[in-house]
This record gives sequence, structure tokens and C-alpha cells, in this order.
Amino acid sequence: MVMGATGSKLEKALGEQFPEGERYFGLENFGNTCYCNSVLQVLYFCIPFREQLLDYYENNKNVGDAEENLLTCLADLFSQISSQKKKTGVISPRRFVQRVKKQNELFRSYMHQDAHEFLNFLLNELVDILERETNAANASPEASSSSSSSSSSSSEKVANGPSNPPVNGVRKDPFVTWVHDSFQGILTNETRCLRCETVTARDETFFDLSLDIEQNSSITSCLKNFSSTETLNAEDKFFCDKCCSLQEAQKRMKIKKPPSILVIHLKRFKYIEHLGRNKKLSYRVVFPMELKLMNTVEDPDTEYSLFAVVVHIGTGPNHGHYVSLVKSHNHWLYFDDETVEMIDESTMHKYFGSSQEYSSNTEHGYILFYESLGRSS
Amino acid sequence: MSSQSTAINSQSPGLKTYFKTPEGRYKLQYEKAHPAAVLHYSHGKAVSQLTVAYLKEKPTNQPLATPSTPSSSGVRSAAARLLGAGNGSRALSFVGGNGTSRTVSGSSRIGGSLGVPTGSGNSQAVANYDGKGTYLIFNSADTLFISDLNSQDKDPIKSIHFSNSNPVCHAFDSDAKDGHDLLIGLHTGDVYSVSLRQQLQDPGRKLLAAQHYNKDGTTSNSKCTCIAWVPESEGTFVVGHADGNIYIYEKNKDGTADSSFPAIKDQAQFTVTHARSSKSNPIARWHVCQGSINSLSFSSDGASLAAVGRDGYLRVFDFAKEQLKFGGKSYYGALLCCTWSSDGKYILTGGEDDLVQVWSTEDRKVVAWGEGHNSWVSGVAFDSYWSAPNSEGAGDNVMYRFGSVGQDTQLLLWDLAMDEIVVPLRCCPPGGSPTFGSGSHSAHWDNVYPVGSLQPAPSTRDVPKISPLVAHCAHADPLSGLMFTGESIVTISREGHIKIWTRPEHGESNPSGSSEASATACGARDRHAAASTKTSGSSLKQPSSVLFS
Repeated sequence: MVMGATGSKLEKALGEQFPEGERYFGLENFGNTCYCNSVLQVLYFCIPFREQLLDYYENNKNVGDAEENLLTCLADLFSQISSQKKKTGVISPRRFVQRVKKQNELFRSYMHQDAHEFLNFLLNELVDILERETNAANASPEASSSSSSSSSSSSEKVANGPSNPPVNGVRKDPFVTWVHDSFQGILTNETRCLRCETVTARDETFFDLSLDIEQNSSITSCLKNFSSTETLNAEDKFFCDKCCSLQEAQKRMKIKKPPSILVIHLKRFKYIEHLGRNKKLSYRVVFPMELKLMNTVEDPDTEYSLFAVVVHIGTGPNHGHYVSLVKSHNHWLYFDDETVEMIDESTMHKYFGSSQEYSSNTEHGYILFYESLGRSS
Repeated sequence: MSSQSTAINSQSPGLKTYFKTPEGRYKLQYEKAHPAAVLHYSHGKAVSQLTVAYLKEKPTNQPLATPSTPSSSGVRSAAARLLGAGNGSRALSFVGGNGTSRTVSGSSRIGGSLGVPTGSGNSQAVANYDGKGTYLIFNSADTLFISDLNSQDKDPIKSIHFSNSNPVCHAFDSDAKDGHDLLIGLHTGDVYSVSLRQQLQDPGRKLLAAQHYNKDGTTSNSKCTCIAWVPESEGTFVVGHADGNIYIYEKNKDGTADSSFPAIKDQAQFTVTHARSSKSNPIARWHVCQGSINSLSFSSDGASLAAVGRDGYLRVFDFAKEQLKFGGKSYYGALLCCTWSSDGKYILTGGEDDLVQVWSTEDRKVVAWGEGHNSWVSGVAFDSYWSAPNSEGAGDNVMYRFGSVGQDTQLLLWDLAMDEIVVPLRCCPPGGSPTFGSGSHSAHWDNVYPVGSLQPAPSTRDVPKISPLVAHCAHADPLSGLMFTGESIVTISREGHIKIWTRPEHGESNPSGSSEASATACGARDRHAAASTKTSGSSLKQPSSVLFS
């Protein structure tokens, strides 16, 4: 194994600038588990998330008969990394990966998996577990036994946004966990009926924004398209409650509450009808180190700063490799399973994509993580 | 659908060879590329930049016909008068004599490998050269190319190979008193000055008779990012680097003395350090910002220097006093390019927020945002040849025409009339910062910022927005620069593909001999253009050696 070698190299590269108390550990790959490793590294260096999870670990480690679940496995792993004596090295996320495979058959095979689907699954799963624990703590002791049956139902909740099942027939207020505090934003879907002019607004929560991409565009431009007005007509009319009929309408998505961690997923894997399969779009989509949501938010002057990128390497959707780029203490690091290297911010352009369809460069930014810096002005 | 658009983008048959403006159609006249243009750019290491150089025949008593707008990122415009050249041989002796006096330091280094094949016709270099003309200078990978603007040849007439490092930026002197008029900055931080004429007179692939500055990175080993002559000076030039420093050089000085500078204490602080020895070259270092300097531009009188960089700030300096006059921030992200209007009243910047910012040097702040690009703005330039169509009542209300290019492959043209800009009102600030006083305009608009201060990013509510007059998908690849000439707009892609768009009123009065070309049928030209764009993935004249690499 290359453990010692890579570790010392990174330590040498950082020298005296090695951040106090920080650990940079590669993660072992158990056969196509890079989708998991790349996301885990990003979450570990998402500081509010890490701190909350380590707090959770501290508060729960003495609960003797605590049942193992994804949350406890993740907390164990993070605690294991942060408490290493060495500053660098390699850690095996075996228990966590086994738990993932147990929990969701999607991830059970040795096939190439989608890192975005995994991130979504993981965040929703964590939310469900936290929710159940809180419910259990608040309710009678019998209620807690229901947690044993939860693992079977949880796999249905891969979809965006947590659903809040009615408890004893009474729908409770939306449950807010520390996962929500970091990642949740609120979108407003506004539809204006073109006949009666009535505006119907529907709020929905999100953990990430999935953006359609275009060749030679920027994240700013993709966000603008995301929020642009779309006309619903012809086959795709809108049922207006006031008119009681299908009507032409204008639809627009706006971000009502921007999240403190903004996760942007680029839709690089697209179903191509005439091919009958998914295709990877290698489009060049530039992403800035700083971002504001100019066209999408009511108060657009909140500044975000890029702190992590999950990169997909490869030409097709069903194979390839994931790595992640992470900014920690103002240094950019390249995490490739067991390997951790330092990279320069000026090399970020390598991951924008290609302006030609056939290019030797196949490393493309796939999921971008921006953290809110608060109002800048 | 998406696969279709991919096909269009990779082979560009969908690109139009003209675009319409109120004054008429701009038409694609020529395309220039280098033999290696089919190689995909080596990922930003070699973004092609463009310099337009006017070499004039000797007795030019007329004033410079060049735009007084100095430079924008990646695009330099300048003119030089040839003092002694009616024909090639006289020019040769003149420049040769001049050149030898300053060959000393550089030549050992640049004796690059002669035979490295990028495959251009070397022998043509001299054959086509007649001692005058307008030349396009552009870099790609490890080579600097020179093309004749007014020739229909697609291939460059000259290529200069650098064996150790890539050329990344260049500039041409508007008023060189002696031979050395061309500056070249390298990825290693090294800088050369040479005579363009001397390069054109030689068929070889080596840089000839160069003076070498910052040799082997003795002063700075940080990558050069931008380079500019100081207008109205006696051979002073400045070089911007990726580490946030600007170095000031004198071209006639040999940097024999110790030219190292002390370490920078506070990266965030603007500091000017003069060389310890009067024999040192560079003569001074300005530490401007954290992160890279991305573009530099002088006002046409040479009094003011604008610099933009990674930290997103435009900074405007009094060059002689070495002081910050004012500065301000992009909306977000780095700024990539900047340029002055020829009257010095406005500065344009463009950057990673997809905006073109218009700054007023009198008000010391941003006065408008141009919205229209779908990606980062990589080049901006004023059209100093353009005059407003109806000049009735032309008094205070001057109109400006400018252009911008972006990584969205688009060329945008804009009209700026300050009296038509709608100042945003702030009657009821929606939870924003309180307005200053009771004025109806926003605080930003009413504020006059003090001299020497850096302003934060304005709120989007406070800045008037302008829209482009024309948006034209000019290339298949992201663009890196543009330049206005008397007859045309020149655009260049990051990979070194150049297109020349002739102005609508293009006619017989064209002085540079391209009138025959324009007299040939439009159809032929269009066909030529169509053929070449279709095969832009594989250059017409180049065999398969460079395909699919």
C-alpha cells in the first residue's frame, strides 16, 4: 500500500502550513466505491456538517445498545478520521460502505454508481434517522420500537425533500434537523394562468439544484435558465383551479430561501432519445470561485464561495471514476480514493469540460459545493 | 437535440458568416489559424492572445492611424514607423545594426530547435514580407505566430518557437524609437523584447536578437499574465504576473545588477518597492493583490494604469505617483480583462460574473453593467473608429461603441450613451441598506467615492443595466480577445483561431490593399469560409499528422 508514501508527500508539500488539527486521509476503494468516497470527502470538509456529526457522535457514543444505522456509521467514520494520530494516511470506510449496500439495493452491485444519487440518498437517509430519533425521544417508549421496521421503508424515500409522515394522524410541522440547516433551501414554483392572471405559488424544499447545461456556458447562465420563465401550452397546459380548466400559463422557479451550503448538480448524464440510452455531456461549463444568485433570488447579494467539487472522469455514464476537489484552509486538495494531493486553484479550469465533443480531457465538474459567506455588502 | 447542438459546436456549420447592426452587415472576411490549431488547447496553459501591429512605410508624416484606445486583455494595438525601409535590404541593414547592439543576454537561451514541425511554410516568411502592413501576433502552445491581416492566407507567415516555455502575452510599441517594438512574456516569467521587423525578415523559427529580462526567473518565477508598453514613455514597460505583482522595466537597460526584491510582508497590501540598485532592471515592483493579475491597460496618455485580477477588483493607479486612484469590485468572481476609452473617461472590465462593467473615471465607480454573455467575459474593447450616426446636438452626450467577447463563443456589440442610462430608483428599499439622504437615486448612484479607496461590490439593484446591440456566435470555441481596426473587428479564440469581420461601409478607400479581396464575389468568400469552418477540426492544408491527438 502507498499509505505512508502519499501521506508524507502531502505533508511535505504543505510543510509548516499544515493546518492545526486537520486530517487529510484517503479512503480505500472496495470496487467501484469511488462515488461514495468522493462524496464522503466533500461532506467531511463541509465544516458545519462535520462539526454537527461529530457532536452527534459525542452525544451518542455512550448509548450502549444503539442500533447501527447509516448515521452512526458515518459518525463513526468521521470520528475515526478526525481522531487519527497521523496527519495523513488512508482509512477504510468498510463499515459505512457495507451499511450503504445493506440499506439500498441500488448501491449493492459493483456497478458504477451516480455520486449525485448517492449524495441525495445519504442526506435523506440521515434526515429520516434524525427525525425518527427525535420522534422516539418525544413519544412513548413503544414508539421507539418502530425504528426497527424503518430500514425497509426508508429506501422508498430516495426522492428529493423529506416527507413528513403523519404521526397518529396529525401532520406535524416540518421537521428541521442540522442536515436541513446546512443544505436545505426553498424553491418557489410560480405559475401564472394566462387567462385569469392568477398566480399559483407552490414552495418546495431542496438539498441541491439540478441544472440543465449548455455547451460553452457558465453556472451563472445555467442558473439564469433554471429561473427563466417557461410557457406551458399545447400538450403541456396548466390546470387552473380558478378557471377550472386547462389553460396556457407561465411558469417560473425562484429560490425563496437560499441554503447555507448550495449544492449544484450539473445534468451531465442525459437520456438521448434516438440513442435509447444515457449519454455523458462533456460540455464546457465554467464555474467561478465566487458566486451570487443574481437572477434566482429575491435578495441576490449573498455571496457564495466554492469549497468542493465532485469530478466525474470518463466518457460514458455507466463507467468511469469519481474524485473530489476540496478547499481546506485555503488550500485545494485532490482526493482520489486512497490518494490525497495538493493542487493549485489555477488548475481548476481543467475540470470545466471541453468545448469539443471529442477531447482527451474527460475530467468534468459534476457536483459543485458553495458555502454562503453571508451578505457581502 | 442536445447531440445535435454538440455536432454544431464541434464542426460549426451553423455559424453565420455575417451579422447585422444598425449600420449594416459585418462580414467574415478572412480566417487565420495556425497549423496546430486542431490540437485542443493544452488546458488553459496556452490561451491564445492577440496583438495587432501596424508596421508603416518610412515617410509617414501623418499621425498614427491607430486607435488611441490602448489595450484590452490579450489584445494590443499599436503602430510603428519604419525609419529606414523602402525595401527589404535596407530595412535589414538598419534593423540588423540596431539589433546587434542589444542581442547580448538573450540569444543563448532562445536558440530553440529549428526543425520542430508544426508545419508552417517557413520560407514564405520573407517572401511575403514587404516592410509594411498590419500584422496579427498571437501565441499558441510553445509558439508565437505572425499573420498578415490583409492577406487571405490562412496560415501564419512566421512562427517563432520557444523551446523551454510557452509565450503567454505580448505587446507592440506604438512609438518605438529604436528597433525593439515587440514584447513577449513567457509562462516561466521570462520576458523578451525584439524587433518585429527583424523577425519578419528572417525565415527561421528562432527569436532573433532578443533582449532578455528576468532571465531564468531571477526576479520572479511566477508566470507572466499580461504585458504592456507605457504610452508616451521612452521604452518603459510593465509586466503583470500570476503572483499579484507588476514589474516595471526599462527596455534600454541591461539588468546586470542584483534585481531581487524583498519578500512581501502583507499579501493583501498594495506596496511599491524600488530596485536597490540603479542598475537593476526591473526598476520597481508593485505588489497589487492576492492572486493573479489578469489584465493591464494604460490610458492613452500613459498617466493611468488599470489592473484587474483574481480578487475581482479593478484598480486604477496614477502611474507616475505610484498611487491608487480608485478601485472597485466585480459583482462576484475574478475580473479577466480591462480597457480604456480613448478619452480616458471610461474603463470597461469583464469577468467571471458574465458581466461587462462600465466604470466612470470621473465618478470613480461602476456606472453600468452590460448583461448579455452566457459565460465569462474574456475580452473588451472600445471601437474608437466608430462615430455616432446622428451627431446633431452632439455636445455632452457622447456615444461610445464597444465590443466584448466571452467564453460563450459570442461577440457582442454595445452602444453606450450616458444620458440614456436609466438610473435605478430606490423608492422603497426592500429590506436593503438605508438610502443616503432623501435623494430618489440609490445610495450607490449618489455617492462620490473618495480618492484612493477600493469599493465593495455594489448591490445588483443599484447598477443600471444595458443590453447589447448585437449578439453573434462568432466561433465554435470560447473566445479570448477582440480588437477593432479601421476596417474590421478581429476576434480570436482561446485556441488561436482568428476571424476578421469587415465593417459594413467597407469600400474602395481601403488603403491596405485588401480591396481586391473584397471585390471578389461574396459568394466565393462565403464558400471559402464555409469550407474552412466545416473542416476546422482538421486544417485544410495540414495532413493528418495532427488529427485526433
